[in-house]
Amino acid sequence: MQFKCNQTLPERAIHIAIKGPGGTCQRGDGTACFIANNVATTPGDMTERGCTYAGCRGVVGGPVKDAIQLTHGPIGCAFFSWGYRPHLADSDFHMKYTFVTDMNETNIVFGGEKKLLQSIIEANAEFPDAKAVFVYNTCSTALIGDDGRDVAKQAEAIIGKPVVFFECEGFRGVSQSLGHHIGNETIFRQLVGSVEPEGDFSRSINIIGDYNIKNDIRTFEYLFEALGLRIIARFTGNVSVDDLKIMHKAALNIVHCQRSATYIADMMKEKYGTPYINVTLWGIKNMSKALRDTAAFFGLEARAEEVIAREVARIQPYIDAYRQRLQGKRVFIYQGGPRVWHWIELLRELGMETETAATTFGHTDDYEKIFRQIAEGTLVVDNPNVPEIEEILTRRRPDLFISGNKERYLAYKLGVPFVNGHTYDTGPYAGFVGMVNFARDIDKALHAPVWNILHRHARPAPAAHHASHGFEEVES
Amino acid sequence: MTSRLTIQERAVAINPTRACAPIGAMLANYGIHGAITINHGSQGCATYPRHQMARHFREPVEVATTSLTEKTTVYGGKQNLLAALKNIWERFHPTMIMVCSTCLSETIGDDIPAIIDEFLDKHPEVTIPILSVKTPSYIGNHTTGFDNFLKELALNLPDRRKKKGETNGKINIIPGWVNPGDIRELKHMLREMGLHGLWITDYSETLDGGYYQPRPHFPRGGTTVEELRSSSKSLATIALQRHVGGEAARIYERRYNVPAYVLTMPIGLRNTDAFVNTLVEITDHSIPEALEVERARLLDALVDTHMYTTGLRVALYGDPDLLEGLVGLIAEMGMTPAYILTAADNRPWGERMVELTEELGVESEIILKGDLHELHKRIKQKPVDLLIGHSKGKFIAEAEKIPLVRVGFPVEDRFGYHRRSIVGYNGAIALVDEITNTIFERRATTIVSNTLVETGVEGPTDIPITLRNGAACHP
Repeated sequence: MQFKCNQTLPERAIHIAIKGPGGTCQRGDGTACFIANNVATTPGDMTERGCTYAGCRGVVGGPVKDAIQLTHGPIGCAFFSWGYRPHLADSDFHMKYTFVTDMNETNIVFGGEKKLLQSIIEANAEFPDAKAVFVYNTCSTALIGDDGRDVAKQAEAIIGKPVVFFECEGFRGVSQSLGHHIGNETIFRQLVGSVEPEGDFSRSINIIGDYNIKNDIRTFEYLFEALGLRIIARFTGNVSVDDLKIMHKAALNIVHCQRSATYIADMMKEKYGTPYINVTLWGIKNMSKALRDTAAFFGLEARAEEVIAREVARIQPYIDAYRQRLQGKRVFIYQGGPRVWHWIELLRELGMETETAATTFGHTDDYEKIFRQIAEGTLVVDNPNVPEIEEILTRRRPDLFISGNKERYLAYKLGVPFVNGHTYDTGPYAGFVGMVNFARDIDKALHAPVWNILHRHARPAPAAHHASHGFEEVES
Repeated sequence: MTSRLTIQERAVAINPTRACAPIGAMLANYGIHGAITINHGSQGCATYPRHQMARHFREPVEVATTSLTEKTTVYGGKQNLLAALKNIWERFHPTMIMVCSTCLSETIGDDIPAIIDEFLDKHPEVTIPILSVKTPSYIGNHTTGFDNFLKELALNLPDRRKKKGETNGKINIIPGWVNPGDIRELKHMLREMGLHGLWITDYSETLDGGYYQPRPHFPRGGTTVEELRSSSKSLATIALQRHVGGEAARIYERRYNVPAYVLTMPIGLRNTDAFVNTLVEITDHSIPEALEVERARLLDALVDTHMYTTGLRVALYGDPDLLEGLVGLIAEMGMTPAYILTAADNRPWGERMVELTEELGVESEIILKGDLHELHKRIKQKPVDLLIGHSKGKFIAEAEKIPLVRVGFPVEDRFGYHRRSIVGYNGAIALVDEITNTIFERRATTIVSNTLVETGVEGPTDIPITLRNGAACHP
């Protein structure tokens, strides 16, 4: 498919493809090469991508519930990343508080190391119950050459608790994705394995790559526990610093978000020999498979079947009812990365088909998983920008758009039903019970009477925008 | 009554009240019809503010970024900015482009005006204005970016050719950092006065738009570039916030001989009177019946509510100009602005606020370089009845069970506050109602400082009222 809006941007063609017969990739440049991904954004194309800091502070580090979340940099990075992503926990210190060294011009000229050290000490004094200080580096403090690592070491000696320094400057990498990697690596290096607990961990697991958005973890945690397994750490939703320190003891890692967190599973496998399995914890088929695969590892197959049968029976009537209402709808999913391929099957279980799939920062493995699952004729777009999204919504007219808050109002202005897949409209959406929430939100979005009102009653914009000012009509 | 000025000394900021400069320039640029912003920096510097604005305005917010990466921090961001300018021009054909900088592009030393000149040399077909605004995050706050935008606009856009005595018959109004609802209220006032305003700038519709089928190419509304070009021929410039637009108004006076009037944000009776009187002074138009009626209605609202509001202690936080205006209405409602906290490091403003509060007969602590954690600590020491400020104060409100009246930016946890107005007589009436109703929602026992409690409490009111924490309060 050629985008009209890309007539002057030929470089975008290699990021756009359609799945052809036999699973082939028909790329926008006319070749059969695989879709280009994880490369620098075209400047000025109105990308939806964020920065490395956002991936590290916002996604991986931010959910740790008892760490002081300290940004080393100017005020904005801390203000904008504060409190909007609902990575919930059973306490809310991490949601309520943000800390920043608040670099000003003088600090930029003379360096910010002293201020960083003082900030760590002060923050710790104000909140002595915090278990660690997470320090996130930003563009400006990196450029002026502050040695944050060294300051973190000094501070650690003074306050007597871990000071974890993330080198996640916004300009590194091409998207949030590198920030996830840095977050994984830093937590692994500085925290994991720093405590050796006693006890039997032979039936314990870590949930890797779930951030407990609107309490997602609550929808599947009890299922693993019902198998007789103990969860040590959730990397990183509703997790404490103490959990992270001992997560190397787990017998198995269960990796959910395979873009943002496979890194730590790999590192644990290499250093501690901890095996991991990849799972999808959304939708009936995938959630069941996750439980079966986990159970198989521990030899608990029979119990898994009991749990699955019980849980599926609970939700099946609801899913059947929703499927009747949602049957045949065509969906445009645009998410950060893996959620796109996590949800294709879930949507099918609800009778819907993905007609366009796009990711902000997906890598080749994400797109391979997408291509494997989508039907022929489905459009795939890497790092779509605002005009492309608008063109998909107006030309392909999907019945439903699943994306994030920034794109919500564009969809609404174009009259396209929308569900927030990033932070959820209601949620949680994971597990068996969460799927009912997801289905209910989709149903609400599709069948709200507002769309009929819009389609029947909307009028074109009055032509001259000046007239709206009103003062033209006034006699002076 | 003695007020005092304190400056917060902590190095670490905990729960800041302020954002950073680029978002201010982006917001101001949204008030120009068909203008597009390019943010020269990391992708996050565009995406974070977009997300924040979408949460406040509930509108699509589109800002381009030059997507600087590691390589560009070594070799400079020139190629990225040239490419972004070309792509934005070819793809959107905007009426204007505004390029705002970031920590990153400022620290690596990119000369943005020179890069823009090079672009214009290479592309003679591009005749639209391209404005460069300096907005590193480490200087000032979000209002600084807005103010810098206005200064650049005043220096670069207006037509310098002006015959003696030539006028467009309009008045430049620089509302400052306000909401779409505020701009609409100000427009209403000018219309009632029979005056033509030239709005610098006007996002009353671009960021609070309607549903149209089909969707217009650019959001409806906004001041046009042509109007802005003629702003040098206006009768006068009125800036309604001293720190956001005050300097731009003075540029109009110095450069184009357009007299400048820099006023306090028109919140409450006296501040709104000052605005209306200025319009009268500039134009000789008399105050119309409609505005007189609104003014009388505000007086009526103040008298109807005073038994519920008099004596209450209030904490205010936010941007200096908003606080300066708000304090007027708070005093008119008989309330004490016990804490007035801003993140700005602005001693002259602080000193003026000390004088102003004393003049208004209230006792306040004015806190500079403050953050919400500091405010929380003060409130724990000596409680207040009400918080007034943006959404981020909700954590104090929840912890201390004190109601929060939401004003300012951002209001992201409630719906439609961008549509409301707190300026002018009507805005003040709405705010008086909201404050009073918020107090009604409270139980009598939680009012800590009032000598007059709301209905439902029997007996004399001069006896000590038990506080939540069990201590007694002697009003």
